[in-house]
Order: sequence, then structure tokens, then C-alpha cells
Amino acid sequence: MKSEERSFRIVDALLLLMMIIPFLCGIALHVMFKPSSDDIEIAGALIFFTIKMPFQDLPITESQVNSWLVIIAVFFLCLFLTHGLSATKPTRRQHLAEMAIELAENLVHSNMGDYFSGFVPFVAAIMVLSVFSSLLTLIGLYPPTSDFNVVAGWALLVFILITYYKMKCGPVHYLKSFGDPVPFLAPLNIISEVATPISMAFRHYGNVLSGSVISVLVAAGLQGLTKLALGRIEGFIGEFPFFQIGIPAILSIYFDLFSGCLQAFIFAMLTMLYIATGFPEDDYKEKMKKKKMKLQKEN
Amino acid sequence: MQSSDVISINIWQVIISLLNLLILFLILKKFLYKPVKNILAQRQQMVDENFEKAKKAEEDALSAKASYEEKLAGAKAEADEILKKANKRAERKSDKIVSGAKAKADDIIRQAQNDARLEKQKAQSEIKHEITEVSTMISEKILEREIKPADHRDFINSFIEKIGENDD
Repeated sequence: MKSEERSFRIVDALLLLMMIIPFLCGIALHVMFKPSSDDIEIAGALIFFTIKMPFQDLPITESQVNSWLVIIAVFFLCLFLTHGLSATKPTRRQHLAEMAIELAENLVHSNMGDYFSGFVPFVAAIMVLSVFSSLLTLIGLYPPTSDFNVVAGWALLVFILITYYKMKCGPVHYLKSFGDPVPFLAPLNIISEVATPISMAFRHYGNVLSGSVISVLVAAGLQGLTKLALGRIEGFIGEFPFFQIGIPAILSIYFDLFSGCLQAFIFAMLTMLYIATGFPEDDYKEKMKKKKMKLQKEN
Repeated sequence: MQSSDVISINIWQVIISLLNLLILFLILKKFLYKPVKNILAQRQQMVDENFEKAKKAEEDALSAKASYEEKLAGAKAEADEILKKANKRAERKSDKIVSGAKAKADDIIRQAQNDARLEKQKAQSEIKHEITEVSTMISEKILEREIKPADHRDFINSFIEKIGENDD
């Protein structure tokens, strides 16, 4: 009994360690490869190396690596949360896991309806990946969500899902839906259809990137302000950036914490709403009914 | 080390990110959603089972209660009957005893009356005899001479009998 408990504890500790290690690796990579400079610098992700590919070379950048780190950490978080599940004696972490799943289920059910209950893990994945990616800024890493390519990938997947569910009643029904309500509005409908993923991607990417840009600008501005106010004093007081203490932290609470979580929520929300509203549920039910009738008649 | 541009579009990166999301979706589904759902289903099943058991136990208890009540009512009726029977028997017995006692008492009274009467008669005859003797003696003393008791007794006896009749 006791040795079992000990081994349980050891596995727990290992899982927690594996959860933290990816972030430590990320920090190590960042420190090792980031060129140090005092200038104000607004640049994209660091390129570690480039792979030759058709059409376009593939640069493996910080955004890809950090995404993978997040995925690994979340994987071990899942293992940690589900370690030692029991139906009779739930532990605290099990309550946490159940609560999170219930929350996601409620969200999906209230926004998409019962037909889409399979979307719970997908919506949860969007939220988790987005939140963790955005919050990487808190430990000084490059947030993958401020790379347009990353968010565009998610939006593309969402667009594929939207189109898939719109096609459920057949391609003819899908094409007809563009002539709604009046056929000559079809070009506008097509534009709005294509704009959906683009707007989703740019909204998320823009918000996170603008947050970091503003943070950098404010930090630089505060440095300049300190120099202007105290620069004439010789020695330590003149060189130390007093105004940079505290104020960037408050900004960070908004731009990194609040905005990161909010954008993740918005992205998940839009995903659910676009997929649920794009799916012609009534027509699909009718079609299934007709199919059933036909089958019954044939039998 | 180079940095990419702030806005750069790379198809492969987009595809990698898409696959990342898919992979995370599968991870969450396989390692978090399914196990927790299983546990929840198990718990639900256990709760259902317990509920079913409780329901069954309640039903059993109710039926047992009903049968006990029925038995109790039967026992009460039986007890009533037994009591009634015992009462009747006791009444009959007491009646018998009382009537027997009465008869006995009557007997005793009758006998006592009889005895008294006999006693009375005996006493009367004794008294008569004594009076006869006494009077004989008295008359002897008065007359100072011997009288023939035989002659005299007849006379006195007749006299006393008259007194006795007057007495009665």
C-alpha cells in the first residue's frame, strides 16, 4: 500500500516536471539564440533553421517551436489531471478536470446545440492552445499567436469545418445558399464566406501582436522619459530606468493576461457560432428523414 | 540569428499550425475528455445502481410493513376473541359458583332453622320437665305431705301445656 502510494507520488512529480521542462527549454532556446540589443526592436519570430520545401522554404521559427512546447506541456498536464482517476474517491485534480470539461460542455451545448456535442474537445483545444500560447509572454517567450501563420492555420481548419458542415446537405444545397436571399448578392456572400477565416485570423493575431508592440513602445518611452528627467544626474541614479518599474507590469496584465484570454475566448466563440449557424440543421434533418423513408420503402 | 518579418505568410507554417491544433485536439480527446467522461459515466452508473437499490429496499420495507400491519390486525382480532371467550367462560363459572354457593347457603340456613327448631323443642320439653319437677317439689313443701307424684304430674303437665300454648 505504502509503496504504491510512493510510486504514485513519483509519477506525479515526473509528470509535473515534464510539464515544466518544455517551458524551461523554450526559455533556454530564447536566451541562447536571441541577439541582445538595446534598440527598440519589433520583429517577428526568430528563425532557427530553414528546410527546403516546394513552393516555399519552411523556416522553423520560435512560433512553431513554442507551439510544440505548449502541446507537450498540455499533453503532460492532461496525463497529470487524469492520473489516478476514480469514480468513488475523486481527488482535487480530478474535480478540476471534471470542472473544466463541464465548463467546456456547457459552453458548447449552449452555443452549438446537442448535435455538436463532439465538438467539446475541439473547442477546448482551441481555447487551451490559444490561451497557453498567448500567456507564453508572461515567461518572456515569443507568443506563437502573434505570428500570423499560426492563427491562420487554426482559422483555416475552422473554415474547413464550416464548409464541411455546410456541405452536409450536398454541394447543390451549398452552392444555392450563396444565392440567399437574392441571387444577385452572391458575390457579396462569397466574399463574406472567404472573409470569415481571414478576419478570425487577423483579429487574433492583430490583438496579440499589437499588445506586444504597445508594450515595447511604452517600455522604450518610459526609458526615454527617465533619461529626460533624471539623465543629468551623474552616476547610478541617472542611468537607472526608474519609470520602467511597475508601469509595464500593469500594461502587461491587460495586454498579455486579459487580452490573451479574451482573444482565445472570442476565437472559440466565433468557431462555435460559425459552425453552428452555417450548418443547415432543419434541411439536414428533413433530408435524413427522406433517406430513412426511402430505405423503409425499399425494404 | 535572423528574425522573420512581423507579417509574413508561409503556407507550410500555416499547415504545421493546423496540424498542431488537430494534434492537440486528439490529445485532449484521448487523454482528458475520454477518461474523465468514462469516470463520470461510471459514477452515474453507480449512482443509478444505488438509487435502484434504495428504491427496492423501500419497496421491500413497505411491503413488510403492510404484512406486519395485517398480521397485527389479525392478532388483535384473535386476542379480542380469546378475551371474549375467557370472559364468557369466567362468567359462566362465576354464575355456577354463585348459584352453588347460594344453594349451599340455603341448605345451611334450612339446616340451621331445623336445628334451632329441634333445639327449641328440646329446650321446651326440658323446661316443661323441670317445671314439673320444681312445681312438684314446691307443692310437696307447701302441702307438707307426700303426694303421689304420679297423680300430681298428670295434673301439672296439663297445666304447663296450657301455659306453653299461651306462650306461643
